[in-house]
Amino acid sequence: MNHFPWLKFAWQNARRNRRRSWVTASIAALGTAAILLASGFALSTYQGLAQMAARSSGHLILAKPDQFHKDEDTPLQHGLDQADELRARLLADPEVRQVLPRVDFSGLISNGDKSTVMMAVGIDPDSEFAIKGPFLKIKAGEALLSSPQASAEVMLGEGLARSLKAEPGSSLTLLSSTADGALNALDVRVRGVFSTGIPDMDKRLVYTDVLTAQKLLNKARISSLGVFLRSMEAVPGAQARVDALFPELQVQNWETQAFFYRSVRDLYDRIFGALGLIIFLIVIFVVTNAMAMAIIERTREIGTLRALGTLPGQLLRSLALEGMVLGGGGAALGALLALGVSVLLYLFPVQMPPPPGRSDGYPLSIAIDPSVYAATLLAMLLLVMLASALVARKTVHQPVVQALAHT
Amino acid sequence: MSQPVVMEMRSVHKTYRLGEHIVPALQGVDLQLREGELLALTGPSGSGKSTILNLCGLIDAADRGEILLQGRPVDARDETGTTLLRRDAIGFIFQNFNLVPVMSVAENVDYPLFLAGLPWAERQQRVREALQSVGLLEHAAHRPDALSGGQRQRVAIARALVKRPRLVIADEPTASLDSGTADQVLSLMRELAHRQGAAFLIATHDSRLTCRCDRVIALLDGRISPHETSLPLGAAA
Repeated sequence: MNHFPWLKFAWQNARRNRRRSWVTASIAALGTAAILLASGFALSTYQGLAQMAARSSGHLILAKPDQFHKDEDTPLQHGLDQADELRARLLADPEVRQVLPRVDFSGLISNGDKSTVMMAVGIDPDSEFAIKGPFLKIKAGEALLSSPQASAEVMLGEGLARSLKAEPGSSLTLLSSTADGALNALDVRVRGVFSTGIPDMDKRLVYTDVLTAQKLLNKARISSLGVFLRSMEAVPGAQARVDALFPELQVQNWETQAFFYRSVRDLYDRIFGALGLIIFLIVIFVVTNAMAMAIIERTREIGTLRALGTLPGQLLRSLALEGMVLGGGGAALGALLALGVSVLLYLFPVQMPPPPGRSDGYPLSIAIDPSVYAATLLAMLLLVMLASALVARKTVHQPVVQALAHT
Repeated sequence: MSQPVVMEMRSVHKTYRLGEHIVPALQGVDLQLREGELLALTGPSGSGKSTILNLCGLIDAADRGEILLQGRPVDARDETGTTLLRRDAIGFIFQNFNLVPVMSVAENVDYPLFLAGLPWAERQQRVREALQSVGLLEHAAHRPDALSGGQRQRVAIARALVKRPRLVIADEPTASLDSGTADQVLSLMRELAHRQGAAFLIATHDSRLTCRCDRVIALLDGRISPHETSLPLGAAA
C-alpha cells in the first residue's frame, strides 16, 4: 500500500476545531434533511396526484380528435360509436386492465320545486368501482349498479344533494339537450350521495350509468374511453400502440388531461426548487466559511507542507476532502435524519388539514426515493468539495516564503 | 575540498519591495556547499541569511544569477519542477519546528517518504530508523504537542533527513532550545551530516553552533564578508 491516508488527514484536520466543525456539519445535516424532506413531500404529492389523475380519467383517454379540441354544439356531437368493438380491441392489449366508457353531459336537475345546474357523467358502475376502488366517499345510500334497474338511478354530490334536499330513494328529474338539439327529461331515483373531497365539484356532480345517460341524450354514443393499464410505467408504450391501432382517433395520456396535477407540479417545482437552492447555498456558504477560517489559520502549515514538496494539487485535494468530511459527513447525517423522519411518518401517520378547495385532509407522507437521496448527497459532496478547493486555491498557490511568514 | 558540490550560487541578486522602496537583499552572492559540509550563515538581521536559505531551499526565486543543485541549474519559475526537487533532494528544519500538529510523530516523519512515493514497508522501516537515530522511537505514536521543544526539533531533524536529502536547510535550528538541548541537536546534526553525506546550510546567531560547523560565512548587507572561517570537513568538534 503506497498512499498517505489523505482522508484520515482530512478527518484529523476537521477535528481540530471541534465546535466549529460540529456547527458546520450540523448545518449541512439540517440543510440536507430539509432538502430531502421537502423533495420527498413534493414527490409524494406528485405520486398521489398522478395516481389520482390516472385513476380518475384512465391512464389513456381515447376519443375523436374534436372531442379534445372543440366544444360540442350538441351533446355527444364528437362522441364515439361502436364503443363495445373499440373496447374489445383495446382489451386485447396485454398491458390493458380495463376500458371504461364515459358519457359527459350537462343540464339541469330538479326536485320539482328547485332546479339547478349539473355536470353529469355516465359510467359503467361495476367496472368503474372495480377498477378504481373506493374513489368516491359514499356519504349516504349505495353505489350505482350496472345491471338494469327498474328505474334509472343517479348518485349525487353531497352539496348537490343538500341543495335539492335529496336523499337515497328521492325522485329527481334530469333535463338536458338531446344529441338532436331537442330538450329531454328523465325521471331518476337517487341511489347514493357521495363526496369527491372537492366541495365545488360536490355541488354540481352527478353520476349515472351509461345507458341512462344515452337514453337522456337520445344517442348510443359515448364521449370517450378511459384505458386503465397495469402500471404507470406502461403508459408510453401503450399510448404508442393505441395510437397505431386507431389512427383516425386520438389518444391522450392522463398527464395531458390532469390540469390540476400539472399546476401543482409547476408550483411545487418552483417553490421547492427555490427552497432547495437557498438551502444548498446556505450549506455551501457555511462550509466555505469554515474552510476559509481553517485555511487562514493553517497558512503557515500549508507553507511547510509546500516546502516539504507537496504539490499544490495534492494540497487542494486534501483540503477538498476536508470540506467533504465536514459537508459530506453532515449531508450523510442529514440523509439519515430525513430517512428516519420519513419512516416515522409512515409508521405513525400525521393527518394534514384539507388543502384549499378541498373538504378532506390527507396523511402527511414523505417519499423515499433513492435516486433523490443519491443526487442530493452527490450534489452536496461535489459542491462542498469544489467550494473548499476554490477557497484553498489562493493560499495553496501563494509563494511558499509568504505562506511560511504568515502569522 | 574534494567532496562534490551539492548547491552552488553564482552571482545571485535578490531585491524585495517594501512599499515604494526596493531593498537589496543579496548583491551578487557566490556560494558553494559540498557534500557532508555544515555551513553556517551568520550576520545581523537583514543581512540576507534567510534570503540565501530561501533561494537554496528553492522556495524563492533570484532576480539575477544562477542557482545549481547537484550541478544542474534550477529554473525557479517552474513551480512543479522546484516542488519535486524540494521533495526529492532538500530537507527543511525550521526555527519553530513546523510539525503538523494533527499527525503523530511517526506520521510527520513519514510524510516526505509518502510524497516521494516510497513503498509502505520501506517507509515504515525508514521512519523507524530515523526516529531511532534521534532517540524518539518510543514517542512514535505521540502528537507533537506532547513533546518538549528539543524533542520536537529532533522530530523535525528526523523528518528532514528521513528521505536522505542532498541538502538540509536549517533556519535557526537551536533558537527555540535551551543550551543543553541545543547541544544535543547540534551533535545530532553533525553526526547525521557526516554519516549520510548531506550538506547543511544553517542560518544562525548561535555561537555554540557556528563554532561546531565546518565553515562559517558572515553576511553583511547582502554580501559575503571577506572574513570567512573555514575548517576542514569533520574538523569541528
